[in-house]
Amino acid sequence: MCRVVFWPGKVAHACLLGFFFLLTILSSVGMQGQQEDGSKPVAFDATKPIPILTGSTAYFTRVTAGQFQDVPSISPLLLVPIGDKWLIEGKGNYSDTYTTNAQGDYVGKASYGLSYLQADYITKYVTVTAGRFIAPFGIYGERWGPNWIRALQISPLINPAFSGSAAGGMFRGGFPAGTLKVNFNYAVYFSVANTNHILATDRSTGGRIGFFLPGPRLEFGASFQQVLQSDRAHAAGIHFVWQPNRVPLSVRSEYVRTSGTKGGGYWIESAYRLSQVPSLRRLELVGRGQQFFVAENLKPAVVKKLGALGKDTKQGDFGVNYYWRSDVRLSASYGRQFIQNKNSNLWTVGMTYRFVMPLWPTGSRL
Amino acid sequence: MRINSAVFGALLALALLLTMAAAAKTNSSKDSPNAATHNAQDDTMRLAGEIRFRSNCARCHAAPPKFSPRMVSTIVRHMRVRATITEEDTRLILHYMSE
Repeated sequence: MCRVVFWPGKVAHACLLGFFFLLTILSSVGMQGQQEDGSKPVAFDATKPIPILTGSTAYFTRVTAGQFQDVPSISPLLLVPIGDKWLIEGKGNYSDTYTTNAQGDYVGKASYGLSYLQADYITKYVTVTAGRFIAPFGIYGERWGPNWIRALQISPLINPAFSGSAAGGMFRGGFPAGTLKVNFNYAVYFSVANTNHILATDRSTGGRIGFFLPGPRLEFGASFQQVLQSDRAHAAGIHFVWQPNRVPLSVRSEYVRTSGTKGGGYWIESAYRLSQVPSLRRLELVGRGQQFFVAENLKPAVVKKLGALGKDTKQGDFGVNYYWRSDVRLSASYGRQFIQNKNSNLWTVGMTYRFVMPLWPTGSRL
Repeated sequence: MRINSAVFGALLALALLLTMAAAAKTNSSKDSPNAATHNAQDDTMRLAGEIRFRSNCARCHAAPPKFSPRMVSTIVRHMRVRATITEEDTRLILHYMSE
C-alpha cells in the first residue's frame, strides 16, 4: 500500500526535477545562443531581401499659357532581389493627358513607356548593369525623376538636350576616395540604338564622375556623352548639390553644353523645408531659375524641328510642397517662361502618392 | 519515505536554485562587459547609420515610414545602385532603417 502510494509521488517528483533540470539546461543554452547572436554585428543577416512593388501615382492639373491639362499617372517599380548580389528592377509609366480640344471636347491621350528594366550585379567597387537604364548623365534623371521626389513637377529645360535613356551595359559604383571624408562615384555606359517607340534609345556612350563630401554634404561632378549616330553630337555637363547641416536647405544645379543642334543651358534650384517652424514644418518652399541657349547658326527648318530646343528661353518657377504624410505630398507651383514674343505662365497643382508593398512574406508584423 | 521525501525536496530545491542561478546569469549577461560593448557598438552603428541616412538619402527625399527589415533590405539595395552609395554607407543605413 505504502509502495503504491509512494511511487506515483516519486514519479511526480522525478518529472518535476527533470522539468527544472531541462529548464536549467535550456536557459543556459539560450543564454549562450543569445551571446553568440549578440556577438554578430547586427541581426540583418537574417533579413533577406524580398521582392517588392513600389512606385507612385499622381494627379496634376497644369495650365500652360492658358491651356488646361489634367494628368493622372502611375509609375510602378518592381524590385526583385536574387541572392546577395543581384537585383532585377523594372519601372514603367502610364499617364493620360486630358484637355479640351478645338471642338470643345474634353479628351484624353494616353502615353506609356518603360523607364528602365535592368539587371544589377553588385560588388563592393563595381555594379554591373545590363538592360535598359537611365543614362548616367547629370543627376536629375536618376535622382529626381520620380514625381514624388522632385521638388517641382516641371522638368528642367535642358533635359531633352541629351539622351536620357540607354540600352546596353553599364559599370557604376561608389567608394571612399582614400579617406572617409570624400566618397567617389562613377558610371560608364554603352548603349545601342533602338527605334521601338517604347524602348527608343540612341547609340551612345558616356559616363559620369562625382565626389561627395559627407561632412558638409556637398556633391559635385561632371558628365560626358557621345552620340554615335546621326549628327554624332556630344554633351558635357557639371552638377552640384549642397545640403547644409545647419539649415533644412537643399541647393542643386546642373549645367549642360552640347555640340550639334541641341544647345545647352543650366538650372539652379533651392528647396527650404520650414521644419524649424512647428506649425509649418510640413511645408517646403522651392524656387528654380533656368536658362536655355539655342545652338548657333541653325537653319529655320532645323529650328522648327527642334521645337522647344529651338528657342532661347528663360524660366523662373516657385513652388510649395506640403508633406501631408510620408507617402502623400500636395504640390503647387507657378512659373513664368520668357521666350521672345511668347511669354507665358505655367501653373501646376496636384498630389503624389508613393506606395510600397511586399510581394513575399515579410516575416514581420510591420 | 520521509528520507526519500527529504532527498527529493533537497534535489528540487537544488534544481530551483540552479534555474534561478541560470536566469540570474542570463540577466546579468546583459550587463556584462561583452553585452555592454555590444550595446555600445549597436548605438554607435545606429548613430552612424542615421548620419549616413541624412547625408545620402535625405538629400533627395523625406524619411520613409517604418518598413519590415526584409523590405528595407530590398529598398536599400535598389538605392545603393540608384544613388551609387558606398558599401559601408549601405550597411549602416540598412542597420539604421532595420531597427
